[in-house]
Amino acid sequence: MSLSMARLEAETPEPGDVPVEKSAAIVGKSPTQIALGRLRKDKTAVVCIAVLVVVIALAVLAPVITSILDIHERREPGSLNAAEWTDQFGYPVTGPPYYGFDPNHPLGISPKEANDNLARLLYGVRNSLFIGAVVAFSALLIGTTIGLAAGFSRGWLDRILSFVIDLFLAFPFFFFAMALSPIIGNAFSQNDVGLAVASFIGLIIFLIIFSWMSLARLVRGQVISLREREFILAAEVIGVPMRRVLFKELLPNLVAPLVVWFSVAVPTAVALEVALTLLGLGVSGTPTLGLLVQEARGYWDTYPLYLWTPVGAVVVITLALNLLGDSVRDAFDPKTRR
Amino acid sequence: MFGYIVRRLMTAFLVVVLVSMVTFTLFFKGPSDPASALCEETGGRCTAAELNSIREQMGLNDGLVVNYSRFVKGLFVDREMYYQGEQMCEAPCFGISYGSRQPVTPQFVEKWPATVSLAVGAVLLYVIIGMTLGSLAARFRGSFFDRAVVGVATVITAVPYYVLALVAWIVLVLQLSIFPETGYHPFTDSPVLWASGLLLPWVVLAFAYAPANMRYMRGYMVESLGEDYIRTARAKGMSQQGVVFKHGLRAAIVPMTTIVGLEFAVLLAGTVFTEFLFEIDGIGWWSINSLGNPIDFPVLNITGTAAAVLIVLGNLIVDLLYAVLDPRVRLA
Repeated sequence: MSLSMARLEAETPEPGDVPVEKSAAIVGKSPTQIALGRLRKDKTAVVCIAVLVVVIALAVLAPVITSILDIHERREPGSLNAAEWTDQFGYPVTGPPYYGFDPNHPLGISPKEANDNLARLLYGVRNSLFIGAVVAFSALLIGTTIGLAAGFSRGWLDRILSFVIDLFLAFPFFFFAMALSPIIGNAFSQNDVGLAVASFIGLIIFLIIFSWMSLARLVRGQVISLREREFILAAEVIGVPMRRVLFKELLPNLVAPLVVWFSVAVPTAVALEVALTLLGLGVSGTPTLGLLVQEARGYWDTYPLYLWTPVGAVVVITLALNLLGDSVRDAFDPKTRR
Repeated sequence: MFGYIVRRLMTAFLVVVLVSMVTFTLFFKGPSDPASALCEETGGRCTAAELNSIREQMGLNDGLVVNYSRFVKGLFVDREMYYQGEQMCEAPCFGISYGSRQPVTPQFVEKWPATVSLAVGAVLLYVIIGMTLGSLAARFRGSFFDRAVVGVATVITAVPYYVLALVAWIVLVLQLSIFPETGYHPFTDSPVLWASGLLLPWVVLAFAYAPANMRYMRGYMVESLGEDYIRTARAKGMSQQGVVFKHGLRAAIVPMTTIVGLEFAVLLAGTVFTEFLFEIDGIGWWSINSLGNPIDFPVLNITGTAAAVLIVLGNLIVDLLYAVLDPRVRLA
């Protein structure tokens, strides 16, 4: 007894550099807490979170910032004519690319329409992040529900749901985008504001429809292996109602894969919006990162700043989101340590 | 095994049929209205009666089910189609393009080689790069080389491919003119032009796909190098090279075939964005260009169906290949 005590004492580090609370009592930690602790020690993750906090703050505060700086995403029709601000070739008569820095428009104004670039960038980031968050969250709900249902119900329901998942996976994504975008375009061809809103909502719905399948598969697989475990069988045996088994026993075990999936789904949705809009299949009228890049694509030689600011924003945001996603996966799954 | 293949083929067939039905319905009920476009071409004297007669001639008044069954029949039997006069549409008939006014099947056959060239070149390039770097990183795990390769790969995969391709095109072709103008020239015309026109798309696709493949390869290789039989091989005095390449690499290649196979199927189905950006006249660009007014549904129909078939078949072939390569896998 005394010998083992002595060995224990020898193994514990000298007091002094150890906080008192830790040696006092062993505090139980949930797997989520452990993962969050790992995340806090990950330098990449901390940097990414810092970047994202700034970006999200800019996005959320976009209306406030633009009103403080007195810049506008869209010129009020009638208040100032766009023609007054652009020359005969459509280039702005103030600020870059030809006239140096203009304090009223920090990033210059756009050719032809003469809108403020900074305001459009802020709203673009705001709208793109909104798309990413809404799509990822909705797909999370749909994917989890279908995956749980398929995994937990043995038999015909599982078979039908699995077939539906495979079916959606086989649908050629881009060809459906091509099919659906003109439908929305034609329906609102007479109405610019309507088209802007409709294409924005249409894009979100389209992305949701095509992003839940991987999660549904993942959840189904997890549930199939979990439902045979002792704690689920025990819960069923003592007569715990099905809803409680699903939400209190199964779901907590799925937190890690769900968090990991979500952290990857957000940047994926943001990147897909950029892709579709670049091809002319996504939004029109509502500024998003994709639309900003798409509009500026032809100005690479005459107005580089106009092109490179949205491209830079896309790179920074997707890089930060994706690297954070990688760190989250490493934190939640100790097996994939780099 | 045989029963498994039959069952998988049946499911695959069902999926393709459903995809085709949904696409057809979407367009038939939706935006593609070739009749009114034709009607307006008559010189702005389009009347309701005239529109109706054109619709009647094209068979558009007959409803969805009749039209779809005509389409299915046309896949197997030559079919007379009306588009500004009668046209013969030969056996696998996907309709007559509203743009070029020719049957789309021969056009598809004509344009597919560009897409295939693009896909094959890119896959070869990135598989070689990705697998080499991945296995080397696993072999020298934890070294500076390993960390550098993994770090660079992580950053590249985190940036969307579309942005990478756009930046590469603007900087390398337009600004610095390092790479020759991109485009497709048939290999039989001039192999040099063929290769030079596809060089940058290959490099960009490889640059975008190699890092992910490198990371998968590294992961599988690290796993296989940790197996007991590797220790056995080392213990019996096998050379380091032999252990890594004969035992480690072979085991890691098996799961890689799944990933590469599926990526290849997707690439063959048309790399829409790459072809669009680099102006390669393949089926991806063809489909994007078919989105005029009216939307060229026969073009989208054949490219979309081809994509669905390729993806479904790719899945099946990969699963079968897996069973051949890995004797532990039993298909039932």
